[in-house]
Amino acid sequence: MDESMIEMMGRVGVYAPLFLGAIGSILGCAAGGQAACGAMLDVEGGYGRLIGVSALPSSQTIYGIVVMLSMNGSFQIQAAPGMFAIGVLCGLALLFSGWFQGKCCASAIHATKSKPEVFGLSVAPAAIVEGFAVFAFVFALILAGGLPAAAGGS
Amino acid sequence: MESYYTLIASLPPLPRDFDDGPIPITAATLWHRLSMLGQRDREIIQQVSDFFRWDRQPRDRSDAEIRDTHRRLVSEIRHPLVARLVNHRIEMRTVVAALRCQRDGLPQPEFPELPLSVWIRRHWDEPCFRLNHRFDWLSRFCQALDDDQPKRAQWHLFTELWNLWCRLDDHYNFTFESVVLYLARWEILHRWASQDEQRGRQRFNDLVEDILQTSR
Repeated sequence: MDESMIEMMGRVGVYAPLFLGAIGSILGCAAGGQAACGAMLDVEGGYGRLIGVSALPSSQTIYGIVVMLSMNGSFQIQAAPGMFAIGVLCGLALLFSGWFQGKCCASAIHATKSKPEVFGLSVAPAAIVEGFAVFAFVFALILAGGLPAAAGGS
Repeated sequence: MESYYTLIASLPPLPRDFDDGPIPITAATLWHRLSMLGQRDREIIQQVSDFFRWDRQPRDRSDAEIRDTHRRLVSEIRHPLVARLVNHRIEMRTVVAALRCQRDGLPQPEFPELPLSVWIRRHWDEPCFRLNHRFDWLSRFCQALDDDQPKRAQWHLFTELWNLWCRLDDHYNFTFESVVLYLARWEILHRWASQDEQRGRQRFNDLVEDILQTSR
């Protein structure tokens, strides 16, 4: 495979966590936000916490930015295939976690609307999904650190 | 991909049982919320609504007319869940109509074109047309008729429908099917509540009281 192709794959890998994480956040926040808007038509107060819950999937974009910056710091052609693999797979994990976290948030909003006392518990599934995004994020950083000449690796 | 998060989250929860408490949303508000749907979905919802309106049939409707309506609905309805709801309801009506004719010693009515109709014709002279196992509500329904309790019999029918539609609703989450099933269950609530004269009077008095207090 020629060098420019390998470099392009490496660059894709660098940008993928942000790109895919942002798509996950878009889908998740859209689902949660739409549910919050609907719920606001039916409740008389507590709007702030509905909107707050709907914004939970934003974190995937932040994780994506951090992974992207850590890999972009010392981009080397030798590390490009590894960057591609780590970046794309981490990005996919962020995408799906954001998307499905949004569905959890929508369900939490729906449940809270009819039973406000379950608010804390209803957000727990979304927090658990967030936990998996954190795993993907942390281990992407650790693995990227092990790549030659990338993210402080040797 | 259509999204139903806003609409479904905007609908108030329905009570656990159809005879438990007031209707949580008025017809006008419900239809206002349903106007969030796209054109295609609105057409399907209209079909469901038209069917339920038709289902509250005037007594002078002939068997042939019902048969024609069933035939038309089968040819028009494309959505699988709506087809299932309509089919189940028509089956229920067929059994009830046949049962009433049998109990009153009348000849067999003109049945809609259903496999169930063939079964009923074949087992016309047997108690409950040997359908007790298939429709477990049938024995309770017959008992209520024997006790001359038509409202109780109606309650059994609605319970069966309500439970089935609640069970179906558990399979859907923020989808169009949830909207259809919400409308279907709301229709049962509405029908049951409209039969409750005492509750209607109480509601009317409450509304008058509210208005008088507001104007003071």
